[in-house]
Amino acid sequence: MKKISVIIRNLPFNTRKNAEALRMSVGLTLREDKVTVIFMDDGVYTPTRTKPEIINVPPPVREFGALTMLKCRLLADKPSLEKRGIKELIENINIVEREEIVRTISESDIIIPF
Amino acid sequence: MESKDTKSMKLGILLTTSPENENTNTVIEISKAARDEGHEVSIFLMYDGVYNVNNKEFAGLAGKGVEIAICAFNAEQRKVAKVDGILFGSQYDHACIAGDVDRFISFG
Amino acid sequence: MTIELDLKGEVCPYTFVKTKLKLEEVESGEELVVYFDHAPAVENVPRSLKNEGHKIMGIEQTGDHLWKVRIQKV
Repeated sequence: MKKISVIIRNLPFNTRKNAEALRMSVGLTLREDKVTVIFMDDGVYTPTRTKPEIINVPPPVREFGALTMLKCRLLADKPSLEKRGIKELIENINIVEREEIVRTISESDIIIPF
Repeated sequence: MESKDTKSMKLGILLTTSPENENTNTVIEISKAARDEGHEVSIFLMYDGVYNVNNKEFAGLAGKGVEIAICAFNAEQRKVAKVDGILFGSQYDHACIAGDVDRFISFG
Repeated sequence: MTIELDLKGEVCPYTFVKTKLKLEEVESGEELVVYFDHAPAVENVPRSLKNEGHKIMGIEQTGDHLWKVRIQKV
């Protein structure tokens, strides 16, 4: 069993990129590897409470639902949140210190900055 | 993750950008170099990376013993047609590559 | 007893995840029937299941963009 970390650093709605990173993360669990999704920099906007349907973008409910059900760790970088004044995230996201992000990345067998 | 036999390793590559990105050339060159050294190479294409199957030099890697799989869902969304020698697979194939390789590099 | 799973409207990788989870409810040797309307899933899900040791008992196109896949759990 490998430890795989997927890192999401970009804004969520300019492209489909972040939604695809989440879909890929779901797929990476199919061989019982341990998948962690890390939100940092502008990527921390991805798990905020938004209404993307207003701009005709499907909300990533299915992706987050599956990742939670599959018990994947979802980590948001605290300094990135503080810098942007983000106080509230959707459920099941762990807000962690930068040290925890660094530890998770260094303990990973595979790192995918998407 | 150290391979016991350092002479022959399995290399996994994820490519998510389209062919005009310099990543395509990097992936082609790394794959060729790895094959020349006798290493196994598996590439997974998803997101805009699926367009690389229409790049002649990239698709030619399949003839050099490089295994290429592509996310058929993303290909269908982008109207990318099937290409001989390339597996129009799924995220399951990506999970298999990630699980099986000694080293994994992501190009996004 | 045959258990059925309707995956119409589902795409990769949810087709895989849901088939896999449903198979956990199925006894060894029993059959699971899955309905798909996503063409790539009809090729790829059975291939992955074979890889995991399960048996594909049949793939049948039952309509326009509608397929029925019979899986026997290993």
